[in-house]
Amino acid sequence: MSKLSFRARALDAAKPLPIYRGKDMPDLNDCVSINRAVPQMPTGMEKEEESEHHLQRAISAQQVFREKKESMVIPVPEAESNVNYYNRLYKGEFKQPKQFIHIQPFNLDNEQPDYDMDSEDETLLNRLNRKMEIKPLQFEIMIDRLEKASSNQLVTLQEAKLLLNEDDYLIKAVYDYWVRKRKNSRGPSLIPQIKQEKRDGSTNNDPYVAFRRRTEKMQTRKNRKNDEASYEKMLKLRREFSRAITILEMIKRREKTKRELLHLTLEVVEKRYHLGDYGGEILNEVKINRSEKELYATPATLHNGNHHKVQECKTKHPHHLSLKEEASDVVRQKKKYPKKPKAEALITSQQPTPETLPVINKSDIKQYDFHSSDDDEFPQVPSPVSEPEEENDPDGPCAFRRRAGCQYYAPRLDQANHSFDNSDLADLDKLRYRHCLTTLTVPRRCIGFARRRIGRGGRIIMDRISTEHDPVLKQIDPEMLNGFSSSSQTVDFSSNFSRTNASNKHCENRLSLSEILSNIRSCRLQCFQPRLLNLQDNDSEECTSRKPGQTVNNKRVSAASVALLNTSKNGISVTGGITEEQFQTHQQQLVQMQRQQLAQLQQKQQSQHSSQQTQPKAQGSCTSDCMSKTLDSASAHFAASAVVSAPVPSRSEVAKEQNTGHNNINGVVQPSGTSKTLYSTSMALSSSPGISAVQLVRTVGHTTTNHLIPALCTSSPQTLPMNNSCLTNAVHLNNVSVVSPVNVHINTRTSAPSPTALKLATVAASMDRVPKVTPSSAISSIARENHEPERLGLNGIAETTVAMEVT
Amino acid sequence: MAEVGEIIEGCRLPVLRRNQDNEDEWPLAEILSVKDISGRKLFYVHYIDFNKRLDEWVTHERLDLKKIQFPKKEAKTPTKNGLPGSRPGSPEREVPASAQASGKTLPIPVQITLRFNLPKEREAIPGGEPDQPLSSSSCLQPNHRSTKRKVDVVSPATPVPSETAPASVFPQNGSARRAVAAQPGRKRKSNCLGTDEDSQDSSDGIPSAPRMTGSLVSDRSHDDIVTRMKNIECIELGRHRLKPWYFSPYPQELTTLPVLYLCEFCLKYGRSLKCLQRHLTKCDLRHPPGNEIYRKGTISFFEIDGRKNKSYSQNLCLLAKCFLDHKTLYYDTDPFLFYVMTEYDSKGFHIVGYFSKEKESTEDYNVACILTLPPYQRRGYGKLLIEFSYELSKVEGKTGTPEKPLSDLGLLSYRSYWSQTILEILMGLKSESGERPQITINEISEITSIKKEDVISTLQYLNLINYYKGQYILTLSEDIVDGHERAMLKRLLRIDSKCLHFTPKDWSKRGKW
Repeated sequence: MSKLSFRARALDAAKPLPIYRGKDMPDLNDCVSINRAVPQMPTGMEKEEESEHHLQRAISAQQVFREKKESMVIPVPEAESNVNYYNRLYKGEFKQPKQFIHIQPFNLDNEQPDYDMDSEDETLLNRLNRKMEIKPLQFEIMIDRLEKASSNQLVTLQEAKLLLNEDDYLIKAVYDYWVRKRKNSRGPSLIPQIKQEKRDGSTNNDPYVAFRRRTEKMQTRKNRKNDEASYEKMLKLRREFSRAITILEMIKRREKTKRELLHLTLEVVEKRYHLGDYGGEILNEVKINRSEKELYATPATLHNGNHHKVQECKTKHPHHLSLKEEASDVVRQKKKYPKKPKAEALITSQQPTPETLPVINKSDIKQYDFHSSDDDEFPQVPSPVSEPEEENDPDGPCAFRRRAGCQYYAPRLDQANHSFDNSDLADLDKLRYRHCLTTLTVPRRCIGFARRRIGRGGRIIMDRISTEHDPVLKQIDPEMLNGFSSSSQTVDFSSNFSRTNASNKHCENRLSLSEILSNIRSCRLQCFQPRLLNLQDNDSEECTSRKPGQTVNNKRVSAASVALLNTSKNGISVTGGITEEQFQTHQQQLVQMQRQQLAQLQQKQQSQHSSQQTQPKAQGSCTSDCMSKTLDSASAHFAASAVVSAPVPSRSEVAKEQNTGHNNINGVVQPSGTSKTLYSTSMALSSSPGISAVQLVRTVGHTTTNHLIPALCTSSPQTLPMNNSCLTNAVHLNNVSVVSPVNVHINTRTSAPSPTALKLATVAASMDRVPKVTPSSAISSIARENHEPERLGLNGIAETTVAMEVT
Repeated sequence: MAEVGEIIEGCRLPVLRRNQDNEDEWPLAEILSVKDISGRKLFYVHYIDFNKRLDEWVTHERLDLKKIQFPKKEAKTPTKNGLPGSRPGSPEREVPASAQASGKTLPIPVQITLRFNLPKEREAIPGGEPDQPLSSSSCLQPNHRSTKRKVDVVSPATPVPSETAPASVFPQNGSARRAVAAQPGRKRKSNCLGTDEDSQDSSDGIPSAPRMTGSLVSDRSHDDIVTRMKNIECIELGRHRLKPWYFSPYPQELTTLPVLYLCEFCLKYGRSLKCLQRHLTKCDLRHPPGNEIYRKGTISFFEIDGRKNKSYSQNLCLLAKCFLDHKTLYYDTDPFLFYVMTEYDSKGFHIVGYFSKEKESTEDYNVACILTLPPYQRRGYGKLLIEFSYELSKVEGKTGTPEKPLSDLGLLSYRSYWSQTILEILMGLKSESGERPQITINEISEITSIKKEDVISTLQYLNLINYYKGQYILTLSEDIVDGHERAMLKRLLRIDSKCLHFTPKDWSKRGKW
């Protein structure tokens, strides 16, 4: 052990250390140097101070003597420690409670003034007390308030009077004294206070500023890397949270803007209504000035097309007479047609049976979409319904406009085929899941299997599917179906619109096949009114259904669905107006086109489009009992649109079809003599427009002819001169013109109750509609009916508004 | 031999001082500040190698002018924060002072010479004496100039001419001095970093806000002349009058008072006895405003939450700062708990001492600041406080250590406590079945809640660890045992853990401290 030839192991804190005492102690002289192996622990003092004289002396004294010597203690400044007046100062005694003292945190703040009077104040008080009584505490409260109310700027006497609830003289005396004293005082306040930090950082190094708030960046220990890492993570987290907050704020703003937009739109519509801007001219003027598009365009469209159509036609004849006429008309109608549809609507809305109407009532209305209405706007506004204008204007309401970046899919053949193939009645069951037997209230007829869904803007779209049974189903008496399924039937939103047509309804070749009926008995019937499927237009008013013109509006190639052809064919077979061969050829051609398109299409999206494809079919076939006319025009239009949009149009074919259509229609038109003049004028320009116009009159029906004709007369002169001779376009436009007069009629009626509707809409939340129906019915039953879809639309708005408010 | 008038800040010279044994000594001291009251100069001296708490104002009679050393430009100062030589000149320093000087009128008799680190200023003066600070002749002129400036500077803070009220002159001048000093001090912080010997404490070189954890300043970069000098003359607290040892940021207007009056129970400060009297009519506290968590005999401990009871916590900190050099009051008291030890008598619970503790410590600190008020020192209360702090740690099931840096008194107290505690354990170990008793350092740490490093350092300090036959052993010499037994006889105040009613809170699970 004489020499250390080894290195001592490090001291292990977990290793037991034997303890040697007194005599047991080994001779450690040799080992002393080993102690160096134990790491020297720092004292924890600052180096400079560690070397201080008195400390070193004390330490060494302790080392030597193992205890403190009195002379070796570290000297400190001494002060006398006997305040003789202590007992006078701290009066009274405090008895130690038995329990541990537990303080209530809120008891600490008493209302005592922070200011403590000094002897100078006492002199003043004594002086004041000669005149009035003032207690020290009272004085202190006054000074305290004055001090706390003033920062660098002293409070004025006026303010002081407000602050202090004292006698004016006293306030004046104390105030003057306080101002004087404060001027003489060196401190910033008579209540001595710790200097506060200033936000500008100027006090960062002021030694008299203390107790700064710990708001700055937290400093982690330099040697703690993980601290820093976690700190950074926290920072990151914070950043991300704040970003989330920002996003939420923006969403909030967006939704608010949306709501505002809605309200503005409502306002615009109301304004327009009051201005009589039914044709949108005023709106247009305003809009052209500002070339902005969507945001400003939307408001007009929001109100759904009902209004627009009304407006457009109205402006042609902005006389209020027509309004009145129509109003009377409404009354008449009401008398003529018992309240069946209304009742139906009421019933169904009250108790919509879940199985049959999965989608209809509220949800559809909620699906209000702003953008869809943008599209509508475009064709609507510039088209005050004049045919020639539209022809010149490629953006006319009915023109097909390809949207940039939009792909148009042909209908899927496989699906259509599928439906054809299923000849068994058992297959009806399958169909039933998605399509159910549907009847239209007005015109009262069965349209076969259809499915109803909600389109953009809350439009109701009927997807029809064609089956082999269609011819049979078409003949079914809707009344019969109603018999067993009425209660389960859907809300007939647009029954009002189709009302006028109801007069025409007569299911001619009704083949009431009891066997089929019994088979489909289980099926639910729905009395839908088909609406325009196209995104682009103003549909909801036009969805009155029987106008083939709607399909014209359809931009989509998909309109040329086989199914449509099929239905139209069916219709033809019923009416016998058009030969089957014609349609066959057409159909073949279309199938060809479809195949070509199909080749380009992606398979995956077909399912979506198949439903869309069925829509035109539904529209086409849901036309009223004036089957021949509507079907003709439908098919004609169809062909036209196919020609327009399809890459491989065959002119001759189309032309031929149209011709047949005309012929057919002509035959029908003749009876309605009132429209002859119209017819002739329109014929002068081109055969088809006139025909269609007449056809329109015809469809509108007897009840409305009176006022419809003037509307047509006024509108047609304008449109006709500009009419184009192009057949396809003509057909196309005809259909449009058909649409508008009808709308005139409808809308004039609907416009009457619209203010109340607006009110209702705004007031109404997402409650059921029945209660809303009743107030409006007070106006007039028909008006209510007319008004209903509109109101529903508004309801939809209201609902969306509510939803947005939630966000 | 220099003239009294030549004495400037930064000069070093022996100063007469009477030690505890009433003997006269002439330790070397540095002049930190000079002031002039009615033509009589007073010098604030710091005795080198003595703790700052002994710094004082002396008259020129106590200065040994024969041995005066004028500050060298780059002189190394033995004091860590010694101003001379540690600060490069800063041209801006002169600007605010001279700007202030203009347009000020003050009665001439008030000759207040307030200089701090004159050499630096001299360097900074364009066209001033370049680098002969040592020559007395060159010292004269700056002195004169600086005198004039200082007089002017005083004026804003002392609107009442001090000669009219001699009694108050002293404090007023004091405040004036500080007002001036604050400005260069701020500068100094950024300037001194390069040469500051202690700059490793602020190695990042960022003179911004100090760290937010802890309660003590180890980084003296924020130190300036103001905080190096005591600013409160005297504090009256209950029955006691205390002479502060260090600077404390009481409201500046109160630093001029000869006595600062504190309410004994809520520690609120008042400017006069009358104020205190008035305060006592409104203050009904007779104990620290917290929950009593320990009581045995007359000794009680109160727990105060620095967030919930800000005003008391701040008042306590202000008082404590008078006796704790390294304590920082830079930030609020929110993250701390304060454990106030009181002694009860019929008047109430009188504060004896306290320690503060971070609610959450990242460094195993179980004490932030700890103080026995001077009137109660050397009576075992300090050790009682320490013992209590470890009792809390035991309840928490943690080991702990006091926040660094320790003061001299702190080191002695802690070493003493650690030594006694560890020796108590070691001597209490009985040999089992003839085996030599043994214990690991970890076990000692667990039993006592003293952090392992502190155990080792204590064992080392006591020289108990030895290496014998290939292993470490602990040796208890008779010397040690006797010393310990004697010390324990004197240690009558002990914490009784049965009297502690304390449930630790998990502050990390709370949103705020």
